[in-house]
Amino acid sequence: MSKKKTTLTRRGFLRRAAFLSAAPTIVPATVFGRDGKVPPSERIILGGIGIGNRGSHDLRWMLPEKDVQFVATCDPQKSRAEAVKKIVDTRYGNTDCKIYRNTPEFLTERTDIDALLVTTGDRWHALMSIMAMRAGKDVYSEKPSSMTVAEGQGVVDTARRYRRIYQTGTQRLSEGNFAFCNEMLRLGRLGKVHTVRAHIAPWDAAEMRHDWLPAEPQPPKDEVDWDAWLGPCPWRPYNSAYCRGGWRGFYDFHTSCIGEWGAHTFAQCQVAIDQAHTSAVEYNYVKNKTGDGMVVVFPNGIKMVLQLEGWRGSCGVKYEGPEGWVAAADGYSQPDVSDPAMLGDFKKIVADYMTRTQRPMSHVRDFLDCVKSRRQTVANPVVMHRTMTTVHGANICMWLKRNLKFDPVKEQFVNDPEANRFLSRAMRAPWMI
Amino acid sequence: MSKSKIFLVLLVMSVLAAPARTSGETVVPASKQAELIEVLKSGDASRKEKVDACRLLSIIATKEAVPVLASLLADEEMSHMARYALESIPDPSVDEAFRAALGKLKGRQRVGVIGSIGVRRDDKATTALCRLFSDSDPDVAQAAARALGSIGTPSAVTALNDALRAQKTRAPQANKLALYEGLLRCAEIMAADGQNKEAAAIYDDLRNSDAAHQVRGGAVRGAILTRSEKEGLKLMAQYLDSDDYILFSAAVQASLEMPGSGATKVLADGAKGLPADNRILIIKALGNRADASDELQGLAEKGEKAVRLEAVKAIAMNDDGDSVTFLAKLLDDGDKDIADAAQEVLASLSGSKVDKAIIAMLDSKDTANQLKALELIERRRTGGIADALLKAAKDNDESVRTASIRMLGDLAGEVDFKVLVNLMLGAKSAAEIRAAERALSTTCTRQAKPMPGEVIIRKAVYGAAGQGGSADVTAKVAEMVKAGAASIQASNANFGDPAQNVVKQLRIDFTANGVTQSKTVGENKSIDLMVAATPPELTNQLCAAIKKASPGQKLALLRVLRVAQGPRALEAVVAATKDSNEEVAAAAVSVLCGWPTIEALPEILKLTASSDNKVKILAVRGAIRLIPLQNVSMERKIAGFKELVPLIQRDGERRLLLGSLATVPASESLEMAMSYIRNANTKNEACFAAVAICEKLVEQKPDQVAAALKKVLDATSNADVTSRAKAVLEKAGN
Repeated sequence: MSKKKTTLTRRGFLRRAAFLSAAPTIVPATVFGRDGKVPPSERIILGGIGIGNRGSHDLRWMLPEKDVQFVATCDPQKSRAEAVKKIVDTRYGNTDCKIYRNTPEFLTERTDIDALLVTTGDRWHALMSIMAMRAGKDVYSEKPSSMTVAEGQGVVDTARRYRRIYQTGTQRLSEGNFAFCNEMLRLGRLGKVHTVRAHIAPWDAAEMRHDWLPAEPQPPKDEVDWDAWLGPCPWRPYNSAYCRGGWRGFYDFHTSCIGEWGAHTFAQCQVAIDQAHTSAVEYNYVKNKTGDGMVVVFPNGIKMVLQLEGWRGSCGVKYEGPEGWVAAADGYSQPDVSDPAMLGDFKKIVADYMTRTQRPMSHVRDFLDCVKSRRQTVANPVVMHRTMTTVHGANICMWLKRNLKFDPVKEQFVNDPEANRFLSRAMRAPWMI
Repeated sequence: MSKSKIFLVLLVMSVLAAPARTSGETVVPASKQAELIEVLKSGDASRKEKVDACRLLSIIATKEAVPVLASLLADEEMSHMARYALESIPDPSVDEAFRAALGKLKGRQRVGVIGSIGVRRDDKATTALCRLFSDSDPDVAQAAARALGSIGTPSAVTALNDALRAQKTRAPQANKLALYEGLLRCAEIMAADGQNKEAAAIYDDLRNSDAAHQVRGGAVRGAILTRSEKEGLKLMAQYLDSDDYILFSAAVQASLEMPGSGATKVLADGAKGLPADNRILIIKALGNRADASDELQGLAEKGEKAVRLEAVKAIAMNDDGDSVTFLAKLLDDGDKDIADAAQEVLASLSGSKVDKAIIAMLDSKDTANQLKALELIERRRTGGIADALLKAAKDNDESVRTASIRMLGDLAGEVDFKVLVNLMLGAKSAAEIRAAERALSTTCTRQAKPMPGEVIIRKAVYGAAGQGGSADVTAKVAEMVKAGAASIQASNANFGDPAQNVVKQLRIDFTANGVTQSKTVGENKSIDLMVAATPPELTNQLCAAIKKASPGQKLALLRVLRVAQGPRALEAVVAATKDSNEEVAAAAVSVLCGWPTIEALPEILKLTASSDNKVKILAVRGAIRLIPLQNVSMERKIAGFKELVPLIQRDGERRLLLGSLATVPASESLEMAMSYIRNANTKNEACFAAVAICEKLVEQKPDQVAAALKKVLDATSNADVTSRAKAVLEKAGN
């Protein structure tokens, strides 16, 4: 191993790095997997898998980033793939965005792609991320990012194994109001916090559907590849409603009203109370349809209450301590606080958080920065897995209709073989973690 | 039909009906297992019924269910769901069933069984899986490699390595990747079991291979972390020196998982002589370490700007005060971006050690450092700083004194008010007086306490915080205030429930001592309707001080008294209107005429008779502003306005009058407003006032309103006024 540093200086990175002080850290493209064969570029070559309505939002956040070049999309649904191509080509003023229908082929063929935006339905998030990371890609995945505890473990293991950068789309971890709430807790302004409250989605229920929608004639494979759409989930007959977002609420495809927003709010709460590296230890059953009022207890003794009502926007969280409380949800112009004086330092507290953590108030930007710096993202695989474990634990508690205890080290329910059977689901071949 | 036959038919019917009944359930009682097994055996059950049976069995099945489930593994339609149920059954017969099926199945059914064997980590399947590496179906070969990796035994490692050697040239790339993953999985399992040496051997082979970048990078990480600390650091140092960026960055990433000062030193040493991009990556890693202050300072001190900048920023991530002095020096850096970054970091660092270091800067003899320290103290909202600021407030340098005095005002409650008053009386320069004025005013505002006052409820609404029902509770709140309530609770007990099952809020718009306020609270919280006023003991000190103050200080203290408010403060201001110093007296008149509460109105009205035209104009303006705030009848307010009219000399005051008239909806106020409509300089304000009055008067005086608005429509060209006037005219029946 010599001290020849030829590739970097020759490519002109130093010049850019030295003079663009405001630009993010520049990392040679070799680090993204081109093995030095492709001339380095400061751009991150991005692709997409399964980009639909939600994914289009992510895409529209990513496309304006100057260090991103989106080159291809892959989707078993032709119409969606074409819609993405239109967005991208319109943005760049060319027709260069390529469409792929088969994911393994896409991953094998496009070795030039550094990172992937995975915004399929929930059923595919974890497995697709794992496949992408196996192929050496970094991944930004929409939430909820796992269907089971085993899937979450698979994402953590794969990211670690191949040292991939991964971010789950819990973007409120990168928004000022929520960051402020977390900092108020960290700085001790609320006293020793005893309770946090997490918003769960006001639609669907914890108990989900197991029925099949009536069979419809399958469209040509070129239009919708139904087998690929189902992926690792149990087979069921085709019905076009599933492909239009009607998969929500079905056990095979969804993580219930708890996962829908809990993926966000549990992550916010667990990061705030410094429990995103571990899992809840107690789930207390509540006799209703949604889990509203369920008390989840973390190893540090702090209780998290699942709360359906009392918010003025979506994905709300509230942190309560003996010296005050803070709360935020989407649409709040500023956080709700027990004492207006708390907001006096709002800008400073958010700015200090950004300086201290070197995290931008943009979830997408945090991901892109970490792709370059190889640092863990704010919503990294462990944060995703541990907070989704709380989602799964709460769901299992509602399904079994009884209290549960969980061992966060073994990642199993304590002396509860019945509950442990929910930790994984066999995948439909040829898919496997 | 015999009884036994009838029973059999009923049994079969009930069994077949069972899944239909349970298809909506996620969990059924364990006692249902037999029924579910019968469904799977039944030739009549539909695919959906069998799928539901498997799903439910996945939670409750015991070894009793294994034979029937195993029989479905070869069934193209049911194979997956059979595994779905089998995978979670904690019985060795499941493993036997999977192993038995492995040799019989083809295609996807076989791939699925291989996956399940991997999930269950059945080491008895090792030999069988090894045979599949060279299968012509790539899905089978890849699944076998991954499954074997999950089993993670030494024999699995040997088999995977043999397969790699055998397939070196001819196997598809995807198959090789699966074999590599199998080996990585084996290494992870061995490391978790404490077999670090065996794990490291696997990683060593892979890091030196020609595998894909993600495999080699991952192997470097593993090779470093599975060695002893000493050996791991040695290997890390080697890769930090690598010209292969993938392996270099893998070593840096591995350091993130290595606590201890050894890794910090290796990173810092490794950074020397590297290109900027490599050093930046190391800096990012050092930023995550609590013991890297010295190393980061060294990297921030000199060199390429991008590297220095990243090093300064990285200091913010973990420094607890060790770098304060260094960062303070950077505040003077010739490069503004570096200086700005240092300031941001200093402002953001938390902890008492940082505070102490900054206070020490304030205590230094270097004025530039003192001013930097003051700015940082202000940005950091540093606590327990009063003594240091009081000392600095007597510093020889005026800029230090001024900044310190101003900041003392932000420490409401921490500094004795008397000390601040004395600082004012000791202030010499205009800048110091301004700083002391700000400190006193801020303190008066922050120390203000709720006190009873005259409260007029203007509007009160109780209801859903977002969309939903709400009720106008103005009359109810006014009644409660009249009965003596100084605090109103937002509760159903007080106002009923206008939005059931929804969290509600109460909003009250009110005037307290002439000051208009609006407060909102959530359910079960209370709104205090009292007036926030500076405590009398503070006001008394200001009143005493003004007698001793220089003219310049008096001007400042008069403005502070206006902030303090209250009868005692007003009295002092009125007295100052007769001060022998003309400038002070004029300032007092100005403060009096701008007094925010109605207590000043009698004194202001007296001044309207002043022979000094300047004083008269100020007084008229003050009176116009305060008359509508009185808690008196509209007739009395209008009478007050009428008395002022002869004193008004300029259109400016006429426009002010029209603004106030608009808040007094009465027949006479409308007449007064209409009298200004022909004056081109007051026409617009008159039209606005007339429309505002008419909107509230239309039901009582429709004819007068209609006549007035027709004139307004003739006079105005303003679209908003026209639209509002037409809407009111319609209400008036025109």
